[in-house]
Amino acid sequence: MTKAMSKHTSTQPVSVRPVLSLHVAASLGLLVTVLAVGCGPTPAASFRTNMVMAAKQRLTTDQERQVATIVEAMFGTPDEPVALPETGLDEAKLLLAAGPVRSDIVGRKNGLYREHCVHCHGITGDGLGPTAAFLNPYPRDYRPGVFKFKSTERADKPTHADLKRILHNGIVGTSMPSFALLGDAQVDALVEYVKYLSMRGETEIKLMQAYFELDDDAQGKLPETREFLVDEVLAGVAEKWKSAADAAIPVPEMPADIDLAASIAKGKELFHGDKANCVKCHGVTALGDGQANDYDDWNKAIVDFGREIAGSREQAAKTSTAEMSPDELAEHKATLAWLEKSRQVLDGDSLRPRTIPPRNLRQAVYRGGRRPLDLYYRIHAGIHGAPMPAAKGTIPPEEIWHIVNYIRSLPYEFDGELGADRSMVASGR
Amino acid sequence: MKFGSFAAVALLLCSTVVSAEEWGTLKGRFKFGGAAPQAAALKADKDAEVCGKHKLVSEELVVGADGGVANVVVFVRDKDVKVHPDMAALKNVKAVMDNKDCRFEPHVVFVQTGQPFVIKNSDTVGHNSNVQTIKNPAENKIIPANGEATATFKLDEAIPAAITCNIHPWMKAWVVVRDNPYAAVSKPDGSFEIKNLPAGELEFQFWHEKAGYLGEATVGGKAEKMARGRKKLKIAAGENDLGEIVLDGKMFQK
Ligand code: HEC
Ligand code: HEC
Repeated sequence: MTKAMSKHTSTQPVSVRPVLSLHVAASLGLLVTVLAVGCGPTPAASFRTNMVMAAKQRLTTDQERQVATIVEAMFGTPDEPVALPETGLDEAKLLLAAGPVRSDIVGRKNGLYREHCVHCHGITGDGLGPTAAFLNPYPRDYRPGVFKFKSTERADKPTHADLKRILHNGIVGTSMPSFALLGDAQVDALVEYVKYLSMRGETEIKLMQAYFELDDDAQGKLPETREFLVDEVLAGVAEKWKSAADAAIPVPEMPADIDLAASIAKGKELFHGDKANCVKCHGVTALGDGQANDYDDWNKAIVDFGREIAGSREQAAKTSTAEMSPDELAEHKATLAWLEKSRQVLDGDSLRPRTIPPRNLRQAVYRGGRRPLDLYYRIHAGIHGAPMPAAKGTIPPEEIWHIVNYIRSLPYEFDGELGADRSMVASGR
Repeated sequence: MKFGSFAAVALLLCSTVVSAEEWGTLKGRFKFGGAAPQAAALKADKDAEVCGKHKLVSEELVVGADGGVANVVVFVRDKDVKVHPDMAALKNVKAVMDNKDCRFEPHVVFVQTGQPFVIKNSDTVGHNSNVQTIKNPAENKIIPANGEATATFKLDEAIPAAITCNIHPWMKAWVVVRDNPYAAVSKPDGSFEIKNLPAGELEFQFWHEKAGYLGEATVGGKAEKMARGRKKLKIAAGENDLGEIVLDGKMFQK
């Protein structure tokens, strides 16, 4: 906890303050914006560079700076967001959500994101707001572009309506509140801003990963051309948001004349059987006590990187430098410096990893919504970013409906049916 | 013919005039430099009555009795590489990854973009296969006992993608996704072979799960540096044998 708290008051291990390169901006057609940046009277708010990804990709300081410059040219700053036409984002909506909380027209409020979301999701949408460390689950980091509760296939983006629904309902059973009291226009603007932060974060990640694929003659520098930056990287990220509406999960209606008791019985059999495998994680009791020590993708990335760094540090400490040639020694020192920087980055730019227990299905608390349709989506597509797998393809739609009916009956199932596991019900797990 | 080192291959080929329609085979054998560590036993504590009886060990690093390093990935990095007519049809052959005895078989599978990739389950327990690709959509499907699921990848991946099972957390395998047929995974004896390569200069990349991209190798007694595991080689018509490629054990200690 203390570690996570201090990070927000101290500076980043490596601070990257980009100076916009005219070259990059020009290749994006952004000269005007370049001149406007940094002219405000108050110190401008800035996005945090994804230092964990930078460390993972072993970027040099120059490369970090190049990425920051490009990303700022493409997306602007928290106070002055930019939406290139390729993003398909509505800049007017972004302006309503962005910037400090203020009101320039009577009855209209700006700076919605900083008013309502920033203390959890962070100014960059990295899930590292000041309150984040105290919450379980942690607030979503939008940067990998992964969302859980949606009407689209597992790897696809949520639709605009999905995100509006999340804001309207909140995520029951977590700290994510409902914003039903905000007007529709405000929710709309916030959703647009979430997409903006997500596209920005995903573009940054893609750029950082792109160094690895550079040819040697590029000398470690990304090409600052429109073709690469906009047509390839940015458009690739934006396209998935644009196609989200086409990725809707087809849901055949539950047969109207279904015999509910029979359906529940079939669902129960499937839930406990080797085809659907639900018990492996949710447990024979459905209390979520099966495979319960797994991580979601965000936390797993930190666990894995942490292990790699710890292992390499241990190894490096044992390595004798006595017989190294000057070249080898220089390389060894560079590795040590990278390992130390990575350790600091993990310390300062990530939260202590937390496991994600499978849901206790006897509480009738469903984070992605309690409608039968919501449960259908969850089972069909699994939960993106979480260990929960997709039934799509292996379990036909009518069987998914049986499982939905069984799940919905679980909270009301006579707890005596749990038999030997009864004491666990009492313990409220 | 057998060449001592990468350099020798290059040298020899510079003097050869390579015609457009010539094809060559690249082969070699990876050998562990130093004493290979014992593979750690895995704790198969989920579905223990089925998975517990297989005496599973970690396959992160598999070194044969004669020092051969299995599961080293070698692939051509060049884009738009010319494909031999005999190789084109390989795209239609199913690539298969099996869930068998609570482990994945094979440990590393090579799949081309567009090629059907079947994940099947020969076990009596259910599995799920969480494929962590970077460019292609991430999939995580339930694979029922004796069932299977098929996928295809649209884009090639710069690094092999991990496949894990969330139900049995010790299970891990890798899929190499490339947009041409020129890749190989070294066998248990450490040997690999890529056939029908277009003659001429190609850039190869060498990767291993534990060591990452292989930054160095000793080929024919000569130490070679390979930044990000890359090495340009001139492929001559016929056989191009790199011989023994010794990988320093230090690279695998992480
Ligand atoms: C008190 C902390 C808190 C506040 C304030 C908050 N959130 Fe969240 N938010 C969370 C948590 C925690 C999650 C993750 C829940 C989970 O993973 O199950 C989350 C998840 C999300 C998601 C991801 C949904 C999905 O399907 O994956 C979105 C989008 C989101 N929040 C948007 C917002 C917006 C916009 C605001 C401001 C209007 C906001 N949140 C305010 C805590 C918060
Ligand atoms: C590999 C482990 C695993 C398997 C197998 C699995 N689940 Fe889950 N399930 C989870 C985890 C973990 C969560 C919580 C994810 C989260 O909160 O992001 C979850 C969440 C859920 C939820 C809650 C959704 C919500 O909106 O809160 C339901 C319902 C559910 N699972 C049903 C099922 C059913 C039905 C099956 C079998 C078809 C199944 N699960 C198989 C791990 C699993």
